[in-house]
Amino acid sequence: MHPSQLIHPEDGWLDEPDAARVMRVAFTALLGLGIYGFTVGYWRDPWMGVFVAMKLPMLVALTLLCNALLNGLLGLLLGSGLGFRQSFFALLSAFALAGLILGSLAPVTLLLAWNAPPPDSPYANSSHAAYMVGHTLLIGIAGIAANLHLHRLLLARAPGPGVATATLLAWLGGNGFLGAQFSWILRPFFGAPGLEVQFLRDNPLRGNFYQTVWRSIDHITGGFGVPALSLIVLVLMIPVARAIQSHQHHIPKP
Amino acid sequence: MNPQTPRPPDLPAPEPSPQVPPVAPPPQLPPEEPLPEKPDIKCLLEALLRRPQALVPRLVDGANGASKRFLLVAVVSFLLFGLVVGCFAKHEQLWAAPLKITAGMLFAGIICFPSLYIFSTLAGARVAISQLAACLAGALALAGLLLLGFAPAVWIFAESTDSLGFMGALTLGSWIIALVFALRFLKSVIFASGGTENGPLVIWSMIFLLVTLQMTTSLRPILGRSEAFLTSEKKFFLQHWGDSMGDNLPSQSAPAGTPR
Repeated sequence: MHPSQLIHPEDGWLDEPDAARVMRVAFTALLGLGIYGFTVGYWRDPWMGVFVAMKLPMLVALTLLCNALLNGLLGLLLGSGLGFRQSFFALLSAFALAGLILGSLAPVTLLLAWNAPPPDSPYANSSHAAYMVGHTLLIGIAGIAANLHLHRLLLARAPGPGVATATLLAWLGGNGFLGAQFSWILRPFFGAPGLEVQFLRDNPLRGNFYQTVWRSIDHITGGFGVPALSLIVLVLMIPVARAIQSHQHHIPKP
Repeated sequence: MNPQTPRPPDLPAPEPSPQVPPVAPPPQLPPEEPLPEKPDIKCLLEALLRRPQALVPRLVDGANGASKRFLLVAVVSFLLFGLVVGCFAKHEQLWAAPLKITAGMLFAGIICFPSLYIFSTLAGARVAISQLAACLAGALALAGLLLLGFAPAVWIFAESTDSLGFMGALTLGSWIIALVFALRFLKSVIFASGGTENGPLVIWSMIFLLVTLQMTTSLRPILGRSEAFLTSEKKFFLQHWGDSMGDNLPSQSAPAGTPR
């Protein structure tokens, strides 16, 4: 499949997605995320690179499959005009675009891994921290691009921009909530310098992403976890509320 | 008005900025066919999700079996979701949680039904009791379907955490989201039947929500373990949640304790 087909999809992209098209898009996501994943883990160890190359597409696949019913129901109930297959395909297309962007950056991130101080050097900890920040930034950029793409796909089908935004936010909430827990289960991705190289940590299902984040916030703020978390939620809600409000203003009156 | 004030020159009518792209017209959807006289379960679910207003004329006729089909979908969905919730504590909760969740929802629906009829009539709807029963069954079926959508996520967390507070918040959050869509369906059907007032429906929705939340305490333990199937201790749900929020599931070898 030509990348431009995915980046600039034609008007009927979501209409009747056949198995061949779904497979092509899924393969693009697999390839892009796999190549990028290899460069993420490569700094710690080449085997870690192989593991992450498998785990990154697995993370997307597990999130999409586990939330397939919920995403389809939300798409229908919010009036996006998309059925179950189309909702799944829209989300898969967005993940494939993120994969495409990250895959295209893989040569750069491989060079970054190649040139970073190795995990057994005295600078390993600062190198690991910088490496994580760099990749988080890139994944964030790809995620934003993918969501804008998804919003465009939704706008082409939904009866109004408000519906498209509401559907996007509902999907984002559901997939983000479950995806974060899957990323916890499938850890490690970056591979801390002092820890063993493993495909999964021992007892991967033990523990919970949100409880760990909560404990960290509570620890960092010296027991003021509740006000700190409230502030974080408020800060995160402001752009969401503004996006909804601005879209409501743009809805044409009948 | 001050006569010295210079009158501003007449400005030409503002033209749309060339940078702002015109808003595309919404896509034209093909006209939808009316539902068949005796819709099958697939047809009913499709209408429930896509076009609830189309269901109204079909729900008038009690002989088409829509209520029974909706009720079947609701019961099966609640049982499956209950099984997933039971996976948190395992043991006796694998059968007790599905039973309690399903019974609790049906009981809440039955005891709130008389007030639904009164409040929907107050809202202006002209709806028969059998039609309203079918609507409520449809709303419960919709909530059940959404809970099934949440079930994989709930299962993942049920296998990952021991925190009763976290699992309680997750299952209640799922229920509240499902209920919001179910009540939205109910409202759209009542408005399609002539309802005009929102207030009575909002009040009834709050009552129904409170009843279902109290069910989580009256039928406890649902999440945690206990030697007793039900407890005789009376508690308000907020008090019970406050008491159990910080608790964890006891280790598998420990005996079951206070009902949660």
